[in-house]
Amino acid sequence: MSEQNPASEQNPAVDGAATRSGPGRLLVAVYAIFALAAGARAGVQIATRFSEAPLAYTLSAVAALIYILATVALALGGRTSRRVAFAALSVELAGVLIVGTLSLADADAFPDATVWSGFGRGYAFIPLVLPVIGLYWLRRTRPAGAGSAPAGTS
Amino acid sequence: MTNWLATTIIVVSLLGAAYGLVATLRDRAMDWGHLIALGVVEVLLILQVVLGFLKLADDEGPRDSATFIGYMLGILLIPAAGAGWGVLERSRWGPAVIVVACLSVAAMIARMDQIWTGNV
Repeated sequence: MSEQNPASEQNPAVDGAATRSGPGRLLVAVYAIFALAAGARAGVQIATRFSEAPLAYTLSAVAALIYILATVALALGGRTSRRVAFAALSVELAGVLIVGTLSLADADAFPDATVWSGFGRGYAFIPLVLPVIGLYWLRRTRPAGAGSAPAGTS
Repeated sequence: MTNWLATTIIVVSLLGAAYGLVATLRDRAMDWGHLIALGVVEVLLILQVVLGFLKLADDEGPRDSATFIGYMLGILLIPAAGAGWGVLERSRWGPAVIVVACLSVAAMIARMDQIWTGNV
């Protein structure tokens, strides 16, 4: 599998546009909303009452950073960006599952909500669905011949 | 919060979302109507900032106003960003961005009302 594929039917993945085109445009928009929501929430929590729940608020900030990273990486969509996006979305999926479980199992550690509490219950469970859709989208838009993918699967 | 204005913003946003959804379902790109809808929402949001600060200065609203002000200013970004991001996509997914932007505005206004009344 080489990159030299002169017959590559106009593949938007070449210039990195694939992840932000078509449905990807919508995906990036939703990620941007969550970056804003999580970022603002974390900012207010940390600025006004960090000492009340350092763990929850640190997690809020981590979640916000991951959403920002995912938004930018998906919007850029270049080769490195795709790797960054894959990492961010994987961490996001793990985060929402772990924090979601812990917030239900050990409510005392999470006296105040984060975007991932209760698997994103406060946000219509979108935080739970989003990384799954995002990872699927990364797979769908995978450039032909990239990475270890067998030819012709994308 | 100014109730009539909050209600107006929610209604206009939902109409804008519905209009975007129609274009998405009919496989149409964004048109002027979508931009105008977002423009109207943006103007209403700016009006809300003015009235919001006036009321806060009058000692109305929540005791801890930081979150409310954060929402009030942060929400201004959404119609502008949605218009810019959506108009670049000449397919049905352009108006789909408008749907997300408008629904987000409506949800944030509803949330702001909860924060304002302390009914969190």
